[in-house]
Amino acid sequence: MIEVRGLVKRFEGRAVSRNAVDGIDLDVPEGKLVTLLGPSGCGKTTTLRLIAGLERPDAGRISIGGKLVCAPGEGVYVGVHHRPIGVVFQSYAVWPHMTAIENVMFPLRSGQKRLPRAEARRRAMEALDMVGLADLADRPAPALSGGQQQRISLARALTREPEVLLLDEPLSNLDAGLRDRVRDEIRGVQQRLGITTVFVTHDQDEALAVSDEVIVMDRGRIVERGAAQEIYAWPREEFTARFMGISNSLPGTVLSRDANTVEIDLVQGRLSCLPTGKLSEGSSVNVFLRPESLVLSRKDPSGRGWKGTVEFSIYHGDCWDYHVRVGDTLLRSRMYREKIGLAHGDPVYVVPEEATAIAIPVNTDGDASGAGASLSGATAKGAGDIG
Amino acid sequence: MSLISRSRPAPPPARAPLSPARSTRTRTVLEWFRDPRHILLAVVALVVTYLAVVPAATMAVASLQSSFLNTGPAEWTLRHYTETLGSADFWTLVGNSFAYAAATAVLCTVIGFGLAYLVTRTNTPAKFFAQVAALIPLIIPGILNTVAWALLFAPHTGALNVLLGTLHLPAFNIYSLSGMVLVQSMHVTPVAFLMGTAAFTSMDSSLEEAALSSGAPPRRVFRTITARLIRPAIMSAALLMFVQTISTFEVPQLIGVPGHTFVFVSRIYKALQTFPTDYGTVGVTGIFILAVATVGLWLSRRLSGSGAAAQTITGKGYRPTVTDIGRWRWLGLAVFVLFFVCAVALPLLMLVWSSLLPGYEPPSLSALHHLTLANYRDILATPALISSVRNSLVTAVLAGVIVTVLSSLVAYITVKTKVRGRGVLEGLATVPLAVPSVVMGVGILYWYLTAPIPFQMYGTLTILVIAFVTIGLPYGLRYIVPGMAQIKDELEEAAAASGATWLRTFRRIYVPLLVPSLLAAFLYTVIVAFREISAAIFLYTQDTQVVSVTIYQEWSNGSYPIVAALGVAIVVFLALIVALVRLLGSKTGLNRQ
Repeated sequence: MIEVRGLVKRFEGRAVSRNAVDGIDLDVPEGKLVTLLGPSGCGKTTTLRLIAGLERPDAGRISIGGKLVCAPGEGVYVGVHHRPIGVVFQSYAVWPHMTAIENVMFPLRSGQKRLPRAEARRRAMEALDMVGLADLADRPAPALSGGQQQRISLARALTREPEVLLLDEPLSNLDAGLRDRVRDEIRGVQQRLGITTVFVTHDQDEALAVSDEVIVMDRGRIVERGAAQEIYAWPREEFTARFMGISNSLPGTVLSRDANTVEIDLVQGRLSCLPTGKLSEGSSVNVFLRPESLVLSRKDPSGRGWKGTVEFSIYHGDCWDYHVRVGDTLLRSRMYREKIGLAHGDPVYVVPEEATAIAIPVNTDGDASGAGASLSGATAKGAGDIG
Repeated sequence: MSLISRSRPAPPPARAPLSPARSTRTRTVLEWFRDPRHILLAVVALVVTYLAVVPAATMAVASLQSSFLNTGPAEWTLRHYTETLGSADFWTLVGNSFAYAAATAVLCTVIGFGLAYLVTRTNTPAKFFAQVAALIPLIIPGILNTVAWALLFAPHTGALNVLLGTLHLPAFNIYSLSGMVLVQSMHVTPVAFLMGTAAFTSMDSSLEEAALSSGAPPRRVFRTITARLIRPAIMSAALLMFVQTISTFEVPQLIGVPGHTFVFVSRIYKALQTFPTDYGTVGVTGIFILAVATVGLWLSRRLSGSGAAAQTITGKGYRPTVTDIGRWRWLGLAVFVLFFVCAVALPLLMLVWSSLLPGYEPPSLSALHHLTLANYRDILATPALISSVRNSLVTAVLAGVIVTVLSSLVAYITVKTKVRGRGVLEGLATVPLAVPSVVMGVGILYWYLTAPIPFQMYGTLTILVIAFVTIGLPYGLRYIVPGMAQIKDELEEAAAASGATWLRTFRRIYVPLLVPSLLAAFLYTVIVAFREISAAIFLYTQDTQVVSVTIYQEWSNGSYPIVAALGVAIVVFLALIVALVRLLGSKTGLNRQ
């Protein structure tokens, strides 16, 4: 439905001269929700704005629904108002001088296909009904709460039945509780209408919750893409692993590999991991372990445990996070059922679960690992202790 | 100060039983004054109230007295009102004044907002021209702008009229209502431009993007969204320009009077020059302008307030969308250049040119042979000119110091304490904004001629300082309140918690953080006071002449070259101060005009 090839966008006057969007290819299949995920400044919003036509690219091609809308090389540029899109902005962008329904009617009354007032009102009411705001139709926009304004904005984007829905951080201005409700609303409406959607966010939980496919971006490039579960369970890139909050990383070397697993030699012992990329015997890797896949116990019947001592624990309500020192490394383990009641200084065995650790080749590109470190300082510090 | 900032407000006194009310109340009042914060508040409030209320109140009293400033018995009367408001002459005056102010307001708002749109929202090149021109009204005082335009369009010899003549076009008669509108617009358009820039940049451009992505064509987006959202700001700016235009002295006096077009200000000046002076009529006219200005300012505030309230919260860090206007941008560039030429280049060049000639003549090759620096030497050789410059410097610096101290105190009370009545104090301190400078001048004059105070104030520099302080106070606050607000209580508390004494906290935390805004407030007040003429013209005497008044007088005497030379010197001086203020502003993020 959306096809992007070799997209490049430069911004002038930046202190560091690099491309905000640096050669991006992406496809959004019909009816799917694809998320652009990454830290601020990674170019995700710019990519969305380029698809919308709110920015002009320096190179590349964009087509929507099989129609070429933008190709600077060929002199093609279809204006924003001629593209079959609906956009929801981070700041809602609900027009303050109009009522809720006037906002939603605007695309039908001022857009390319103009409907008679009564018809426009009927369609707008349907859209408002869809987001559960039909009874607030005649409220002036500034009298609505943030969550209501964002749903008005969604209704407005949908009311003219666009081929493509573009959502630019639609949840990040909302309070935590509201955020989940509006998120559910967005995913619900998107699946009901089967509308092709691009969703931009910097929040990995949000991305996992709503996406059919997640595209992880960094520094204007695509780092990795895949189904939400894949990206979560088996990230192939160090950047993704760190960005997805896999906070334990241990350096090691490859001992051997077969089709599905790879044996890694760690300071703590041998560990069988999920492989990524080209791993040959003897190459250096970082092994990433989720806190959930490190199990603590006072005894070590299997003999696979790493001996350590408890540094401190953090209580989250539904779980405990234990920080355990194993040798020079501080590991974080998350326990959902607290049985053992550990305190500072207690000796404990850390047992990694089978087939959950991910071995990723050590990134030799110094820049990228620097960015990773800034994302999760704790991890970087932990890794630094070892090195 | 330590006590004031540190202690929390005292708990409210327990409600006393009803019967011995009086004694309890006295005690409560006494207790209220035991708190040093309250004494500070009381003193500052008294000073501010005195400054804000006295001129307008005196004016009102004068308009209601049967005879004012006379030895004879005076009684209360509405006679002046019925007589003045009943005369056809007065309503001609109202018609002239409103036509002049309204035409100026419309013209400069249209140009100013148009330029602001081009600068903030389009890809017109060389925005530099418009941005530099926007600083000019600070650097060229109104009186010099007026003088320069009068020279440019002098009936037979003005440079531009000579140019029109060679093109076989009819000469422009500047001594007319349209001439007044032209000159005043050149002076205030940059202010409208700055207001427009602020309005356009504070508008979340995703509001327009949302309309575009709804399928609306750009022209329709401009009409239904951009224009509608900016409308309150436009109205607010136009009203402000109206108020400013109706209350200043130089253009009506220098341009209007020679063409026999009288407006409020020039009529008041004329009435005060004739003997016997009809103080009552002056009072009525003054009160009339005051009322117009107050209503205008109130409406302006309301509009800009509601505009701000109507704005939905904006996303962090958006960039204003720049529209590609294609080939039209070259037209935009032409507009920038034209604006720059009219607002900056022409008046400045005219002043420089005239300052280098022994007597005025239009620019020509033959005139080049007469160029001389004699006028500048003459300034230095004329004691009266030197003393008026000294008077201006002394009064401006004194006013700057007093305004800085006073507005720091007001800002401290309103921002850092929770004393009851602090809102009223801030309100009072901004009252002078609504009092036209002319009313300020005449009101202060009346008050110090009649006030029962033991020492003579009229004819001293003090009376000028009082006027400048009153006029400068709202501007001082505008710099210091945000500066004070940025020093969060936690910063002071953190220093205290680190073991610093209050004095050390003050020195290491408050002073470094506040100094830039204090300096900016000081320098801005100096600029305002140095340029001021509309109030000073009523307050000066032979010994206390300030430089703006001197320019007016020399102009009236026909010494154009001296006026021009003095003008160039003033422009250079003010440009230096403005550069300093901008530098401070860019360093501290206080870039609000």
